[in-house]
Amino acid sequence: MPMKVDIISEWTGEIGEVTIGATKKEGGSRCAAIVIGGGSGFPFLGGSAPGRKPLIAFEFCDDPKLWSPIVTEFEGDVVNDAGAWAARAEERHRPDLLRFYLTSTRRRGFQEFSQVGRSVEEVLERSTLPLIVEGSIDPAIDSETFLRCGEAGEGERLLLGTAEEGRYRSVAAAAMAYGHSVIAQSPIDVNLAKQLNILLRETGVPHDRIVIDPYTGALGYGFEYSYSAMERIRYAALKGDEDLAMPMISSAIDSLNIKEVREADPGQRGEMAVKWELYTAVSSAIAGASVVCVRHPDTIVPLRSAIDSLWGKTGGGD
Amino acid sequence: MALKALDIYKLLPKKNCKECGEPTCLTFAMKLAAGKADIEKCPYLDEEASRILGASTKPPIQRVKIGVGERSFAVGDEFVQFRHEKTFNHQPGILVAVSDLWPDDRIQDVVREVRDGVLVRIGTDLRLDGIAIRCESGSAEEFSRAVAAVEAKADLPEVLMAADPGVMEAGLSVCGAFRPLIYAATDENYQGMCALAGKFGCPLTIRAESLESLAKLSALAAKEGAPALLIDPSATTLSDYIKKATAIRQNAVSKTVPDLGYPIFFDTTVTGMQDAALALGVDKYASVLVCDRLSIPSRNALLTLRQNIYTDPQKPIQMNPGIYRVGEPVRDSPVFLSVNFSLTYFTLQGYLEASGVPCYMLVVDTEGYSVLTAVAGGKLNETLVAESIKKTGLESEVDHRTLIIPGYAAPLSGKIEDESGWKVLVGPRDAAGVAEFLEKEWKK
Ligand code: SF4
Repeated sequence: MPMKVDIISEWTGEIGEVTIGATKKEGGSRCAAIVIGGGSGFPFLGGSAPGRKPLIAFEFCDDPKLWSPIVTEFEGDVVNDAGAWAARAEERHRPDLLRFYLTSTRRRGFQEFSQVGRSVEEVLERSTLPLIVEGSIDPAIDSETFLRCGEAGEGERLLLGTAEEGRYRSVAAAAMAYGHSVIAQSPIDVNLAKQLNILLRETGVPHDRIVIDPYTGALGYGFEYSYSAMERIRYAALKGDEDLAMPMISSAIDSLNIKEVREADPGQRGEMAVKWELYTAVSSAIAGASVVCVRHPDTIVPLRSAIDSLWGKTGGGD
Repeated sequence: MALKALDIYKLLPKKNCKECGEPTCLTFAMKLAAGKADIEKCPYLDEEASRILGASTKPPIQRVKIGVGERSFAVGDEFVQFRHEKTFNHQPGILVAVSDLWPDDRIQDVVREVRDGVLVRIGTDLRLDGIAIRCESGSAEEFSRAVAAVEAKADLPEVLMAADPGVMEAGLSVCGAFRPLIYAATDENYQGMCALAGKFGCPLTIRAESLESLAKLSALAAKEGAPALLIDPSATTLSDYIKKATAIRQNAVSKTVPDLGYPIFFDTTVTGMQDAALALGVDKYASVLVCDRLSIPSRNALLTLRQNIYTDPQKPIQMNPGIYRVGEPVRDSPVFLSVNFSLTYFTLQGYLEASGVPCYMLVVDTEGYSVLTAVAGGKLNETLVAESIKKTGLESEVDHRTLIIPGYAAPLSGKIEDESGWKVLVGPRDAAGVAEFLEKEWKK
């Protein structure tokens, strides 16, 4: 009986690594080059190859009218100036990464492509954290938008989003031309995630420049599918499927728009937003996400404590 | 994997001797298959049969029922490590802690909150489950007073938390008939606690720091006659919990260490970060969660996460194509085109509901792709839309012939008009804009 009871781990596969951001020495201007992913086990279980601690990205945008009023009211006027918002987020909210959404491109008939490049440049000037840039979500303007994003961030090793089946070439081309990585989003399905990774590889995007986004439904609106998709992707990767062995990013982008949060009692709406994001992000990190994204600044502190406590003193290893 | 009754029957001796308490081997097999009989009741099994049946008929994690009546709940009875392997069966019970140092009215405020608090989501009432009564006074009298204060207000499942068997007995003498969970038997007090569990017929939690001592203690407790067990690996950090709980679950479901085959107890109040600990407990294997009073936002997020994680993962992520109603639409209500990716559907439905305008949703089969992907990949096209309008009988539901399509399907608008004969209105790209759209552009 007094045998040692331990975690059973019979994995051979390893999760790949992706670097986001480039320092001055590397030709960029970021404060750090962050490596995500790695390891050969399930998250937070320690072992000899625990991988890296999940990171927190703060999401913001260039057109606050398309953002949750819960956040824009909380942040105040700064949301009207993407560069200032980036600076303030870095200084006050202290995330590990910034994720900049070019929501302006989502308006009908958008054509201000030069503004896209300028916005990205401004964000890069006013902040030093490694940057994720979310460009267009419309095939008709993808090419021009991603080209401008890629160009503006040349040398900064951005993470560019988002490639999907049916519209991945523009993102991939911009990433390859300017040295960035790509977020590959598939609709909550292991096989579709794999298929898109293969398509990207065939376009010339190497393994270490792909981050999987299995699409994260909001808590109460399909999150359970996303949770299991992440666990299955990690499981497949550990079993040796290299086409799924990339780090994952999770962002429950609808969290602040769902009825439970939007229609919460005004006195509790902010806290509701934070709790909704917190429960989702903690669970996503547990399911295997290397980067978890949030929009309410107040989510960051409790989320960081949670991830630190999950990771443990020994850096996840024993 | 569970065996079917006939497969089990094949392995039985077929003596029909009734010694198992069943009239025939076949009825015994049927009970085994349903998990309602104990394989050891048949004395004539050969070794091979008892190995196979022993392993396949008993859940690797014991089923334990806590409380009595309407709000009682069962935990355990789990078979898998990941929910995608099959499903998680029994969601954890969440019990809110009160202290016997508190006056009755403070205790009863919490009890009322747990008794009456409800979150209604997709037609289901979600509630917290019960009360954990913590002995902090060290006094049997105070403890039984606190238990009585809880009992006076509600028939909720309870956890009695006291280290001294004498104090525990005082609490049990108040509520022992209602299957409270006893917390906790340790190395020092297990004989006394096991005796109480046996006497009152209550489930018992055993607690130890290492998994080895937990396994040892659970074997001892079972021998002492404790009828049902939970185990608490005494985690104080989230790291400690996830490692221990994962090891317990793996070793239990693989039957590597059967003495760990019991539901897990997690007191989240000791972690100093209750929300994260509760999320972790729901995601990773906790069966009973104890927490301090929760704010409404924490409670709602927690109950929703628990509902999500304990949903059967076989439930398809695609909606059935067809006509769906929001509110009570009439013959001139607007019709929105949507796809059968359930997340797209739910998002749009949520915003339509919020707009307060009754309407129809025509959900077409894009093989579960979202609008954007379906348009780009050709899965959403004019033929599909025209056929769906015909097939669903939409034309007999409404008098008008105007279809509102998602903003991202705008390139298809002309083709859909030609193919279906319906007029097309291009809606907003973001579902968040539908209320504004309806106000400005939906005019008959
Ligand atoms: S004791 Fe065994 S042999 Fe006898 S009836 Fe029951 S199952 Fe059949």
